Amino acid sequence: MVSKLWILIRQLYKQKVRAKSFILMTLLYVAVIAVVIFWSDIKAIFVNEEALEVALINETPVELEPIFISNEDITFSFPTDSKESVYDQLKEEKLDAVVVVTEQNETLNADIATYAPLKLNDQSTISSFVQYAGKIYGIQQLNLTASEADKILNSEAVIKTTNLNEEVADGKSEEQKQSGIWASYFVGIVIYFFIMAFLSMITTDVASEKGSRALEMLLVSVKPSTHFQSKIIGISLLALTQFTIIFGFLFVLLRFTDGGAKWEMVDSILNELSYTYVFYVLAFLFLTIILFLIIGALFGSLVSKVEEASQVMTPAIMIALVGFYVMISGMANPDTLLIKIFSYIPLTSGMVMPMRIGATDISPIESILSLVILIISVIALYMISLSFYKRSVLTYSSGGVIQKIKTVLKVTT
Amino acid sequence: MSLKLQHVVKKYKDFTAVNDLNFTIDKGEIFGLIGQNGAGKTTTFRMILDLQEQTSGTITWEGTPINKVNRDYLGYLPEERGIFPQMKVEEQLYFFGELRGMNREALKKEIDFWIARFDLEEKRHNKAETLSKGNQQKVQLIASFIHKPQFLILDEPFSGLDPVNRDLLKDAILLLKEKGVTILFSSHQMDNVEELCDHLCLLKRGVSLFSGSLLDLKKQYGKTKLTLRTNVPISELEKMAGVKEVKVDRDECILTLMDESFAESIFEVVSNGRYIEKFSLDYLSLDEIFKDKVGGNGE
Repeated sequence: MVSKLWILIRQLYKQKVRAKSFILMTLLYVAVIAVVIFWSDIKAIFVNEEALEVALINETPVELEPIFISNEDITFSFPTDSKESVYDQLKEEKLDAVVVVTEQNETLNADIATYAPLKLNDQSTISSFVQYAGKIYGIQQLNLTASEADKILNSEAVIKTTNLNEEVADGKSEEQKQSGIWASYFVGIVIYFFIMAFLSMITTDVASEKGSRALEMLLVSVKPSTHFQSKIIGISLLALTQFTIIFGFLFVLLRFTDGGAKWEMVDSILNELSYTYVFYVLAFLFLTIILFLIIGALFGSLVSKVEEASQVMTPAIMIALVGFYVMISGMANPDTLLIKIFSYIPLTSGMVMPMRIGATDISPIESILSLVILIISVIALYMISLSFYKRSVLTYSSGGVIQKIKTVLKVTT
Repeated sequence: MSLKLQHVVKKYKDFTAVNDLNFTIDKGEIFGLIGQNGAGKTTTFRMILDLQEQTSGTITWEGTPINKVNRDYLGYLPEERGIFPQMKVEEQLYFFGELRGMNREALKKEIDFWIARFDLEEKRHNKAETLSKGNQQKVQLIASFIHKPQFLILDEPFSGLDPVNRDLLKDAILLLKEKGVTILFSSHQMDNVEELCDHLCLLKRGVSLFSGSLLDLKKQYGKTKLTLRTNVPISELEKMAGVKEVKVDRDECILTLMDESFAESIFEVVSNGRYIEKFSLDYLSLDEIFKDKVGGNGE
């Protein structure tokens, strides 16, 4: 005989996987991924941008022309006509901008004249050319040739790091840390999107069963704990289905377009990651998702009707949002105190800790500690939820979250 | 005996929902639990179904504590109607049946039978939310006993049904009884209780006022309701010995007597040796007894 748990899971899965919202959401993700991957091709179809036409009038004695090198985005011309006639061309929109370079007190002055306003992007491109020219000009005052000057500007030191502390023996190279940042950013996004989509799914599902009183019919034949488990397992399976579709599609796109060039890029990131790191990432991902699902089911059991579901979900979503932004802040600097604190808090550690493990040199004890805290929280919350769920699923009350919890405790003890 | 409640108490922090409840339901009988809203009926059902734990006392099914009984032996129709709005009628019945341990083949037979019986053939493949309230209720009712339970609890099964469907339901309950199912149900509508129940329990604010057979309850009050159609003026009827109260209902007078022994003397006066169209001495109806027991406000 098929177990009751399995019947409940199957019914939930079948119902949700065929729901229009689920199919549309999956298709939307797939479409977004396709657009991102083929962005340059798509852009080429829609945006046929002509290079910016810029005229340079050099009124200094120094030769600056070799610095202003045309490329596919910008074309420099060096007209010898009078300033007025060049300005006329600008007014006739034959040119996009005219840069007049003069000298004053041994510094370079540039006046960028336009007729139609420039885009921010183009403006900063021209500015950076002028800035560079300014530096060259300064160097040229020292009577160097342009190529000598260029060499000074472009020379860079070779850097190699050595850590003499043996406790951090597995000191990571910069490439490894970069890969770690990208991988953990990816994990953070996955957790975040999962929480947004599936937390609300489990909460509204429990809430609607409770609201439509179908739950009472169910609880006569199955224990509340079985019902609770079926929701968590069923929604997890659903999430797994969606992930498989999305990442399967992503893999196929990366692997088989451009002769696999894109896949090689991903592959090079993956190669920088260690097995321990992958283990940690998967453990944090899995546990965090379970933790949020438990919260979702528990909160869903508190409300009296499905309309109230979003109200009880808000706190959990806020916490997820905080974790996400802390993680984003870690993209720039993963070593801040903020990151350290949030890497231990159970609800956010899944998004923040992988970043610390991947992108900073931390001792294994810290990551194990954070993981242990997460595991204990999942188990503790599961036990608490189970006993609370039994009492809350048949209690109907109004008011806010705290009020609802109070009512449940009042009428069931 | 099959279901037995002994000294069952359910206390919450600030009030007692059920206080020292005792009754026994024999196998294959229909038992009515009657009481106003808040009398403790649903709490009692939930304790029997092990959805809530009693504070003290014991509930047993054929001698086994109810929380040890296989849940598939029980069937339950909750007071608040609840089915899955997005599921089709047939799908819904299969789901509940399978959940209670039945295989699809056996279920198909049952589903076909009950869908035909409740006149739902056309709605078979419709989503539950598109059905009328009455039809939804029928679907839920079938769902509550599709797995052939030994013991079935129906919480207000008649509310919201039109007279035709009410008769359908009554027949179904009697058919289930024939098949040996023990049935416990609650209702506000006393005529249904009167027609169906063998035994009943009257609840008021968690306390049992009476528990036993319907006839015993009626005998407690005796035959004190006298209905007649007569030309004798009401003022005279009121003066007669043993008459407590006189009410007029269209062309009939309904007399409440202190005791049934006064009926004979009243008959002699009223008929006076001649033909009389109506003279009928009866037990009080359950509705009247209920109102008297719980204090007037029947609903």
